[in-house]
Amino acid sequence: MAEVKTRDFVSASDAAMRDASLRRALRQVGGGFNEARLEAIEEVSWETWEEWREVARRTKIHALENLDYYLEMLHDRVTAAGGHVHFARDAAQANAIVAEIARSRSVKIATKSKSMVSEELDLNHTLDANGVEVYETDLGEYIIQLAGETPSHLVAPALHKTKEQVSELFHQKLGVPLTDDIEEMARVARQVLREKFLSADLGISGANFLVAETGTLVIITNEGNGRLCTSAPRIHIGITGMEKVIPSLQDLAVFLRLLPRSATGQRLTSYVSMVTGPRRNDDEDGPEEFHLVLVDNGRSRLLADPELREALYCIRCGACLNICPVYGKIGGHAYGWVYPGPIGAIVSPTLVGLKEAKDLPHASSLCGACREVCPIRINIPRMLLHLRHRLAESPLETENATTTGERQAAQAYSWLMSNPAALSAAAKVGRLAQKPFVSGGKVSKRVPLPLVSRWTGGRDLPAMPRQTFREIWAQGLESEAEIRE
Amino acid sequence: MVEKQNAISLGVPKDDFLGHVRRSLGRDQPLETAPVHLPLTENFADLEVRAKAATERLETIRGELVDRFEETARVRNWNVFRTSSVEESIGYMADLAGRLGISKAARADQPVFAELAVDSALQNTGIELFVAAHDESTSDLRVRQQIIESGLGITGADYAVAETGSVVVLPRKGLSRLVSLVPPVHLAIVRAKDLVESIDDVFLFRRLEYLHKGGDMGSYLNFITGPSRTADIEMKLVVGVHGPREVHLVLLA
Ligand code: SF4
Repeated sequence: MAEVKTRDFVSASDAAMRDASLRRALRQVGGGFNEARLEAIEEVSWETWEEWREVARRTKIHALENLDYYLEMLHDRVTAAGGHVHFARDAAQANAIVAEIARSRSVKIATKSKSMVSEELDLNHTLDANGVEVYETDLGEYIIQLAGETPSHLVAPALHKTKEQVSELFHQKLGVPLTDDIEEMARVARQVLREKFLSADLGISGANFLVAETGTLVIITNEGNGRLCTSAPRIHIGITGMEKVIPSLQDLAVFLRLLPRSATGQRLTSYVSMVTGPRRNDDEDGPEEFHLVLVDNGRSRLLADPELREALYCIRCGACLNICPVYGKIGGHAYGWVYPGPIGAIVSPTLVGLKEAKDLPHASSLCGACREVCPIRINIPRMLLHLRHRLAESPLETENATTTGERQAAQAYSWLMSNPAALSAAAKVGRLAQKPFVSGGKVSKRVPLPLVSRWTGGRDLPAMPRQTFREIWAQGLESEAEIRE
Repeated sequence: MVEKQNAISLGVPKDDFLGHVRRSLGRDQPLETAPVHLPLTENFADLEVRAKAATERLETIRGELVDRFEETARVRNWNVFRTSSVEESIGYMADLAGRLGISKAARADQPVFAELAVDSALQNTGIELFVAAHDESTSDLRVRQQIIESGLGITGADYAVAETGSVVVLPRKGLSRLVSLVPPVHLAIVRAKDLVESIDDVFLFRRLEYLHKGGDMGSYLNFITGPSRTADIEMKLVVGVHGPREVHLVLLA
């Protein structure tokens, strides 16, 4: 499994905030992705957007409630299409499965398209150790692989790198001249990787969705590397979390509408590729073998906890990262594990252990923006509070920094966030109450509120806007009730 | 149906894994009856009715669909050439090949090329046109090599989606996965009858065919929506990474 550095959250985020080029990069994300997302929504109208969110959420609820049933169906349909399905309880097992497939089929070279799950498993390390040359092929992933780093964003993994850094990296590792031309850098990557694609024995992909009905793996990409990984090598392994399954092909449509718009503001990405088993006998090309590795690795703990199950609805669009004032200040690496941002602050503690990641549930100002932008309406603030609560209540955590005051504040927040009417009333009060502390659109560092001050010590907290998103939004709807779950 | 290989399964036995999932859901037995989920309760007859209704709907809005598709496709950076003339279509392709200054092009082997005899027109421009399909005389590897050497890949479209400006291809016999992907320029031919309104339509028709074919989806389906692109360095858009940098549509309608 990928190295866990969640204990270092406080020092890592302090360091991140002193990193000038990181802050510049983060400003671009906050603006760029988020504006594009809003434009894409306005194009279809907020009303339609809300309908889609509703349908998607209902579908996820249903799929997860009956996960055993749909996994069985998926298994049967993939197998009927000539593929192989492997189940892995944890990271070690998942890595061993891939290593065994590679070993028994004499794989020398593997190309990979972007997969957060394989980052979670640290699969590349296992392949390396087993003598398989493995190449990340998504441009961002390729950059961080060359640099020996980990992704800092769900959608744009090399977001923390400037073009100067990339140029220097390519110069050192690939021996190409320095340049400040980004197109030239992309061209170099294309050239180097093209040859790898065509010589690879194995292509590894993740999955954005798995369709139970037809046994189909769906990947959504822009560069074309996903298509090459699933088309050129003689073996294809899809490796993904077990929560990605949706019942029917018909259900896929709404997710294809939500995901690209939420991630990059695109109507649809350049490519949506759907793989059902290996090549058929009379196909022109395609892999002779298709393997699907379904990974639990702690997901059943989320499934079993009614308070946290909805974290499994996440489609990894990154919208909650792009809007999050905390992510916007510290970037992805400070979170200390594969999944950053608001959703990472829930998933990581559950997957690596809450004790290991006590600070993550506190890495939020609970402004609620993540929930507002989430295409699946995942109630992230509620879950963060739940985790804070658990930390506060746990007898094992007495040495944790949590004071009685904070515990009470956590409880109050918890009540507030599960109570929309009270929340909007509180937001109004909060705007008035913060007035004395606001300067230049930021809350001053000396806010005399216990929970907030711990956060604002050394950080600027964005002030609550004059009108919250929730309020602006509600005006466009017939009744506010519609936006509640 | 697909020829059954012997499925292998490494890792945890399926029943153990599913048992654990089930216990996490607070159950210890598999569901006795299938959970109710609307799309999955549909049978062949239901789907046929819906597909028929969809086909009729598409028929009545065909003209408008062509306009909408053209507009969306342009937004998604397809170079659209719309014409009702077969000659002009072929002329566009020959001009393109000339402009690109390439020596080789590859095309798929699809029914659309019976309507559109591009081969001789392209060969007349002096390029070598290669049909990317294998038979007894050409091996898979040879087909692949020819595609790699081609400066232009030409395909038809199994569907064209007005909602998204996408061309959908279903690689199979005659249609390589690589011909629309590996050459730096891709040209797709779309006819009015290929058009559907939405991605829902695509999935409806695919589901019907899936049942029709006794549960075979075909191995691959690709939505292609404009050129290959990335914004992975400083969020600056670069067109043409691993896939084609330039994509053309001949909209024959
Ligand atoms: S939690 Fe929601 S917004 Fe965040 S990445 Fe997941 S789906 Fe996107």
